[in-house]
Amino acid sequence: MTERHQGATDDAGLVRELAAGSEAALGILYDRYGDAVFAAAYRLTSDRGVAEEVVQETFLTLWNRAELFDARMGSLAAWLHTIGRNRAVDRLRAAGRRPQLVALSSSAVPDENETQALERAVAGGTVMAGAVQPLGPEEAAAAADLRDAIRTAVAAMPDAERTVILLAYQEELSQTEIAERLAWPLGTVKTRTRRALLRLREALGAEFGPSAELDAVPVRTGQDR
Amino acid sequence: MDHDATREQMELAALEPAGIERLMAGDTPTAQAVAAHLTGCPACTGELARLERASKLIGAAVRETPPADLRERTLATVRALGRTRGVPALAGAAPGGLASEVAVPMPIPAAGPMRSPRGRRVAVGWIAAIAAAVVLSVATTSLVVGWRVDRSLAAQTETIGALQEVTTGTLRVTSEPDARHVVLTAASNPNLNGTLVFSPSTSELVVVTTGLTLPPSGQEYRCWVERAGERERVGKMFFSGDLAYWIGPVSAVSGLSGGARFGVSLVDAAGAATDTAPILAGGL
Repeated sequence: MTERHQGATDDAGLVRELAAGSEAALGILYDRYGDAVFAAAYRLTSDRGVAEEVVQETFLTLWNRAELFDARMGSLAAWLHTIGRNRAVDRLRAAGRRPQLVALSSSAVPDENETQALERAVAGGTVMAGAVQPLGPEEAAAAADLRDAIRTAVAAMPDAERTVILLAYQEELSQTEIAERLAWPLGTVKTRTRRALLRLREALGAEFGPSAELDAVPVRTGQDR
Repeated sequence: MDHDATREQMELAALEPAGIERLMAGDTPTAQAVAAHLTGCPACTGELARLERASKLIGAAVRETPPADLRERTLATVRALGRTRGVPALAGAAPGGLASEVAVPMPIPAAGPMRSPRGRRVAVGWIAAIAAAVVLSVATTSLVVGWRVDRSLAAQTETIGALQEVTTGTLRVTSEPDARHVVLTAASNPNLNGTLVFSPSTSELVVVTTGLTLPPSGQEYRCWVERAGERERVGKMFFSGDLAYWIGPVSAVSGLSGGARFGVSLVDAAGAATDTAPILAGGL
């Protein structure tokens, strides 16, 4: 995707450019909504592999069916979200699984309130069960801010520390398994794990950071390499 | 166990799968020592609660973050399977535009129950993409046969037979309920791309590439699968016109659910190593 984009910046304009064959427009729309489609698919399926495929199929559908998008009928975010959700549910049905129950706030797209999200879900025949709403709008927004803070901190941390965090959380490897995978000494993995965790907790702020009542635990440097 | 040692154990446990739960189970000497410290230390007990909350939050955010290469893989998928659109805007982005010679229009019907985990719609697209590449190659091969019948007829007949094997192998793999497809991309050559299909249940794998040039004398393109940081040699690419391919069973993909990579590297034909930089690669 080396094409440089100098055209529209709004969603509708980008979709029109995409329909005319602009890869750059597709790339911009991926940057704008790719993460959200992935996150929603992962929440439904609890499977990162399936979520990746859902993202690919969703943007393939956008490319192939761009003419069907009508901004007067709803936002592009909602359209992509519906496509992604349907693809995820297809996968789960085929595998004989049920979607994870997720809060409505989790399925709402960025420019939707919960009522709009519910109406869209009902209209699409996608509501399978009701559930107690665990978070209010302000709490949901705060949770979204925390997620953004974590992602930013992960992106900014040194490569070695990011690697152990991703292997620990995304692949659910133990520190011993990470050491074997990367051929690092176990002590090095532990050191980097603790450093990474400390960085992330600090990014989350006082509520989740290390207790102020305790002195910072020194992280030994001799084990690093 | 003092504050520092207790907190170190808690922090390390927080990033292990079910680590806090196992630490609290108290069935190891370390866990018992931590539990003993926590009993008399409100500060560390509070720290444990904060650590658990933070770890859950971090874990959820990290798991919901797509891998960095998903953007390029998604765009490569669109490039390979997307419908043909306006050519001028695509010039220079891919050989022949977004939907090059291997691209096929891909109608997307309304969502509904899928036949298999991989889905008929996607499978049909991949079969068509691979079949299109094979057909092009056969056409090229036929021209060559026409020009130099006396010298190469036997060899070309053998090649066409191999291409038929690729086609039937692709159909066989994609008919499996767990068939998976992967777009192979080249980091340094936009004219080079590939398609791979495999079935974790049957362990059969088919890979087809376009744009791969014949290897220099004494070298060959070797396929490998990398799992847990170790590469396993799979086979070498065969050539027919513009098409390069390989088909066969791969034990490394048996039961595979992710976390592996397939790649093609240029290596010395006499050597056994496959640890050179990949010419083409994709996540399995």
